[in-house]
Amino acid sequence: MKKENARLKAVNGIFEICLGINGVKKSFSVKNTEFLLDALRRHGYKSVKKGCDTGDCGSCTVIFNGKPALACLIPAFTAHGSEITTIEGLGTVQNPHPLQEAFVEAGAVQCGFCIPGMILSSKHLLDANPEPSEEEIRKYLDGNLCRCTGYVKQIQAVRMAAKRIKNGEKRFRGKAS
Amino acid sequence: MPELILKPGTLKELWLLPPAPGGSRKYLAGGTDLVSGSNAGMDASQVWVDISDIKELKGIRETKNSLIIGSGVKISELSGSGLISRWLPALRSAIPHFASPSLRNMATIGGNAATASPCADGVCALCAERADVWLELGGKKRKIALQNFFSGPKKTVLRRDELITAFEVPKWKHAGVYLKLGPRAYFGIAKASVAVALELDGEKVRSASITLASVSPVPLMAVKTANYLKGRVLNYDNARTAAALVKTEVSPITDARSEAAYRREMSGVLLERALNSVILTGRMSQVAG
Ligand SMILES: Cc1cc2nc3c(=O)[nH]c(=O)nc-3n(C[C@H](O)[C@H](O)[C@H](O)COP(=O)(O)OP(=O)(O)OC[C@H]3O[C@@H](n4cnc5c(N)ncnc54)[C@H](O)[C@@H]3O)c2cc1C
Ligand code: FES
Ligand code: FES
Repeated sequence: MKKENARLKAVNGIFEICLGINGVKKSFSVKNTEFLLDALRRHGYKSVKKGCDTGDCGSCTVIFNGKPALACLIPAFTAHGSEITTIEGLGTVQNPHPLQEAFVEAGAVQCGFCIPGMILSSKHLLDANPEPSEEEIRKYLDGNLCRCTGYVKQIQAVRMAAKRIKNGEKRFRGKAS
Repeated sequence: MPELILKPGTLKELWLLPPAPGGSRKYLAGGTDLVSGSNAGMDASQVWVDISDIKELKGIRETKNSLIIGSGVKISELSGSGLISRWLPALRSAIPHFASPSLRNMATIGGNAATASPCADGVCALCAERADVWLELGGKKRKIALQNFFSGPKKTVLRRDELITAFEVPKWKHAGVYLKLGPRAYFGIAKASVAVALELDGEKVRSASITLASVSPVPLMAVKTANYLKGRVLNYDNARTAAALVKTEVSPITDARSEAAYRREMSGVLLERALNSVILTGRMSQVAG
């Protein structure tokens, strides 16, 4: 999407912004005090979780213009013209992404609160580095905190997904994207 | 949070913007500090100028004697840069200690300096790398040593609406390392950090820069300790003496993250470890001049 926001003026504290979410063009009215995290949730993207609201937990991670970023620290109006991927854009129950499959199979999900952020970070890692070492995975998921599962099964899941993506395997119905 | 967001694409456009009504404008780079501060009610400015599209603030380039790092360069871009890897070993070694991967995709090196936090990792390493900082206001430029840029915790010499445009770092032959002690191995605000850059001549230290963070109101240049090392052989004994000396240079406080006495002690421990790691690996890894 073209960046055309040389000047954005709030009318009664409301900005009109356009952005691409999971490949679909959207327009949002956002308050000047609002963050991308809240704006996304208000518009139905409930997978983007609010854990801390201070940039510490990683549960609000989205892919923002190609890289993982924290939606709780992005003023919503600055997202005008940006491209965002949330976990809703990754796969479906019928047709999950290999990372989603692997997280389920490895038992990496307990309450699930941290998982969307964790999977989006992992996806970006695997896109850049299809065969990461355990150390690389650990470092890459450093900003994604989990209070239930711990940090063993998610690492196994990422390794499992990496292997399956490499071998072109699929477990569930449908085709992995 | 503001009523008006301006997003210039060039410095020329920036300097043509009208002055902000009733006070100064606020620059928005990566937003990781500004936004949390603004949320906490620490920023009342009506006009934010989003500088993330200004092309002159981007990129890392090389001149004959220096590297120029744009203030808008993200921390994650530093880690991917061959020039940084080749010339700035202390900065390179600081990057994994800087927040988390997703924050590194957002935070800029210019914002790290402008925030002037005593615990900032990026600028602590850049001070040891002997960086200067380029400032600009209304098209007028000035350059000062980065170590003189900070005037207190969260205070800098920036004039109203003045912008950091770049850091200029000399290319010099040296070994460097950054160590940070936080609440856990990675991703946490430091209790103490140290950046070391050593120019070596065989076994001897030709010159040294040592900067510490979180143990004084501004990034601390440990000049006495650096002078002690100058001309001496780099060995474990001298590293121990330097560590004892650095503890007399720091002026830590007790706060929510640590105690003054512990921070002082750890300043010595970190410096000794940093010097020892150069003894073990740094001589070989000293950058090519
Ligand atoms: C959860 C969390 C963890 C963090 N961990 C670390 C860490 O480990 N180490 C560390 O060093 N920091 C850390 N930080 C702090 C922060 O990410 C850095 O200081 C970052 O470099 C700030 O850059 P920014 O681009 O986000 O700045 P912004 O938030 O955009 O700006 C910060 C301030 O600088 C001003 N400013 C920005 N750019 C310029 C410019 N070019 N010229 C003049 N003024 C300017 C802004 O007006 C504002 O006042 C952390 C922050 C959070 C939220
Ligand atoms: S909600 Fe954004 S990092 Fe925790
Ligand atoms: S599964 Fe509950 S926080 Fe990670």
